[in-house]
Amino acid sequence: MFYALSSAKPVIFRALTAYIIRMNILFTAVFLICTALLLFNAPEAFLPALIDGAGKSATLCLSLLATYALWMGLMRVWEDSGVARGISRLLKPVARKLFRTDDDEALGAVCMNLSVNLLGISGATTPYGVKAAKLLDKTPEAEYASAMFFVLNATSLQLFPASIVAMLTSMHSANPTSIILPTLFTTLFSTLLGCTLTFLFIRPKSKSKQPVSAPKILKTKGVSMR
Amino acid sequence: MTHFFALIVPLIFLLSFSFAHFRKVRVYDSYAAGIKSAPPLILSLFPYIAAVTMLSMLLTVSGLGAKLAEWLSPIFSFLGIPQEIAPLVLIKPLSGSGSIAVLSDILERYGVDSYISRCACVVYGSSETVFYIGAVYFAGIKRKKFNAALVISLVSFLASVIFACFLCRIM
Repeated sequence: MFYALSSAKPVIFRALTAYIIRMNILFTAVFLICTALLLFNAPEAFLPALIDGAGKSATLCLSLLATYALWMGLMRVWEDSGVARGISRLLKPVARKLFRTDDDEALGAVCMNLSVNLLGISGATTPYGVKAAKLLDKTPEAEYASAMFFVLNATSLQLFPASIVAMLTSMHSANPTSIILPTLFTTLFSTLLGCTLTFLFIRPKSKSKQPVSAPKILKTKGVSMR
Repeated sequence: MTHFFALIVPLIFLLSFSFAHFRKVRVYDSYAAGIKSAPPLILSLFPYIAAVTMLSMLLTVSGLGAKLAEWLSPIFSFLGIPQEIAPLVLIKPLSGSGSIAVLSDILERYGVDSYISRCACVVYGSSETVFYIGAVYFAGIKRKKFNAALVISLVSFLASVIFACFLCRIM
């Protein structure tokens, strides 16, 4: 995963910058509007609100740290004992059909990404995701496979939403596990919907009727023969 | 049912650790090595979570948040989404750390076991940060169907939010 990250660093950096700039505009605009409103309504509430917010975020990060420590420790044990490889081997046949490729390296990265996704620890999936997207782009059905990978990551099936359950537990919920089933059903629904839509609108094999698609077929053949 | 789910986590740990031990993995070292990578991850998230939490406090105090929710409430109530979770729905596709901040704010304000909070949790879990994935995973990859994939992801997200609110009402 470090290989994928280092080889693509400038591009990723640029994309991240573009994303951050967009977030910057949004943040600054909302911040300025709120501050201007407060100037007229209650200027004395400005500083307490900021301090309150910062304090809350510190507490939140501490409880997140506890969650991530617990699950990332377990993930490392899974990696070391071969469970992670076993899970991705189980997912591979499904992935092979979904992404229309036999590229083992690409499928491996995709499966690792998707199985970390199942646990719902966002942030831990990024390295695998970047690598998988790079490799899928070189497969014969790249147009379709990339789109499918994007949609699958966005809708992200949750077998066990670890961070939410831990957050509820740390806030003394009476029944923190009660959201597991609804979350599973919801993500199952959105994943199926996303897959179907991708399959319908971004077909795995380009329509041969359109003249534009003719060179694409040639290109696909060339890649698969290599 | 509740009891069954309470059993899952300890069982996962029991099975994982005994399997790892059986495979001659040094469980203590391996577990600690995994934990080692958690603080850097959280440290990289903290500045953004702090900034967004402060912003959301400002939104509340200035009354802009309430006004926004009021304007958007016809749309949300038409879709069956409680307007209390509107801020979460709006920020979820844009920023992961921001949505964690907003979620914890909702949990605190409406109580962890309320219908609103359950809805918010399921909505939070129902998708990943669409625009972040689009920007970071697919950096430098130019595909014609990329925008279509983005639209499909957003549509699935909205559908999952509606579905989540409906599901929380009956489950």
